[in-house]
Amino acid sequence: MGLINFLAYLAIMMGIYGILSLSLNLQYGFTGLANFGQVAFFCLGAYISTIIVLVFKMPFIFGLLGGMIVAGFFGYVISIITANLKEDYWAIVTLAAAEIVRIFFLNEDWVVGGGPYQGGSFGIGGIPQPLRSLFSAYTYPFFYLAIVLVCLLATYIVINTLTQSPFGKVIKSIREGDNLPLALGKDVKRFRMKVMAIGGSFGGLAGCLWAHYHGFVSPNQFLPLETFIIWAMVIVGGKANNKGAILGAVIIMIFYNSTRFLKDYIPIEEVTLASLRMVAIGVLIVVAMLFMKEGLIKEKKTIY
Amino acid sequence: MLKVEKVYKSFGGILALNGVSFSVESNTITGLIGPNGSGKSTLFNIISGFYSKDKGEIYFNGKKIVGLESHKIAMLGIGRTFQISEVPEKMTVLENLLLAPKRQIGEGIFNVFLYPLKIKQENEQHLKKAYEILELVQLYNLRNEYAGNLSGGQKKLLSLGRILMSEPMLILLDEPTAGVNPILIKDLIIAIKNLRDKKGDTILLVEHNMKVISEICDKVIVLDFGKKIAEGRPEEIQKNENVLEAYLSGSSKSDVIHEDS
Repeated sequence: MGLINFLAYLAIMMGIYGILSLSLNLQYGFTGLANFGQVAFFCLGAYISTIIVLVFKMPFIFGLLGGMIVAGFFGYVISIITANLKEDYWAIVTLAAAEIVRIFFLNEDWVVGGGPYQGGSFGIGGIPQPLRSLFSAYTYPFFYLAIVLVCLLATYIVINTLTQSPFGKVIKSIREGDNLPLALGKDVKRFRMKVMAIGGSFGGLAGCLWAHYHGFVSPNQFLPLETFIIWAMVIVGGKANNKGAILGAVIIMIFYNSTRFLKDYIPIEEVTLASLRMVAIGVLIVVAMLFMKEGLIKEKKTIY
Repeated sequence: MLKVEKVYKSFGGILALNGVSFSVESNTITGLIGPNGSGKSTLFNIISGFYSKDKGEIYFNGKKIVGLESHKIAMLGIGRTFQISEVPEKMTVLENLLLAPKRQIGEGIFNVFLYPLKIKQENEQHLKKAYEILELVQLYNLRNEYAGNLSGGQKKLLSLGRILMSEPMLILLDEPTAGVNPILIKDLIIAIKNLRDKKGDTILLVEHNMKVISEICDKVIVLDFGKKIAEGRPEEIQKNENVLEAYLSGSSKSDVIHEDS
């Protein structure tokens, strides 16, 4: 039972991070937006959905949509604020924005009604899982895995369709500078806003799935480190390739969870080993940067 | 069609444009020449909205365009190329062309899912047109190559082709023949002339190649130190004292201006 449950858990995490990675890939890989605050969408999706389902007692689907809408709107707002910033400054602002979101939920426990649900630094527990009563403790993860995979597939289809459309051509041209698309009459700021809104809403979707799977959210799960794990997925898997983004999520998640097994083979303390996994991911990024700049799966050329 | 009135622009202490006025009549080719640093590119950037002016007005078909964002100016029908080609490296030659048409249905995120058939049809029309343009600029065999792998001259040709795809009413060409091989320049000259004669387009071009200028331009405007120093037919310009002075800046008056390519 242990191993198969662990595999279900791993697959669910791969699916959720796959959505995050696809979303970042749309922003960074295709549009060139160095979003260092991807975790903000993740965090917002998780919290908003939790509030809607737990506090307002609404069905899961409303939580999911609510999380997506709020996170998407947040992405839209960020892109308005940063509309005139150059790439590096842009990255700093997104990093700061993500921290603002996290610290907001850390300090403002009233957003979950305080009292019975606590919130703030204690986090929020007891988040209901969709259709939990229909399944046993043993089979439920597989049902949840199905939900996650459907969401991953939907995300893939939407983002892949967009990137192959004329919209995709415009954002790819924006990736290499604003001048050309502007000279061709493309409203670059608006395209950036759209990308941030779509990216944000899918980030929110991942957050929602994450919260309802674990049944618990807390601000320290949404540290900037999470953003960089998602970055590692895009870099290792393949920039501007949607299949690559998913592959990256799969590989990084395997690395991330490998320590559970390594402890049986390597005589290092478990705590040390857990910290070492971050080092492993760092090494993986460096190796990817040095030996396969475009990641495992290269950007696909559109051939006519 | 385009009317530039007393435009001033300075960068720090340098007066790049010092009250330049001229007009471009519809269905003509107007050349803009001048020594390096005379303000030609600055003027292009102001017309297309990439720089803001300090003073002056610019009218396009009677409408004030100064102060509009550059993408809005492009939408009004002013297309431009850049002196140093702006070519998205990781897009193929054909993709570069397909990017150009304005108001594509498939540029809206919801349209992508709502009207897949219409987008496909639209795309096929654009493809057909793109193939014709590729033949014209002789890049057909390179259509599936990444634009970043093209040579400097080929990038110039691609930029020209791309601007043709976007069907502007007024085309601003910034040194379209720089780095292009002489045989191809002849084809380009014919192509640009055809734009005027067959399609009725209007063109304003910056060019250093006097042969090109004298062959295709109806009118030439000469800038020096941000001021217009001469305007007229190409053959008049070549004899103009001020122009010779500007190009030679006081040294002996050889005939550089007649053959400098």
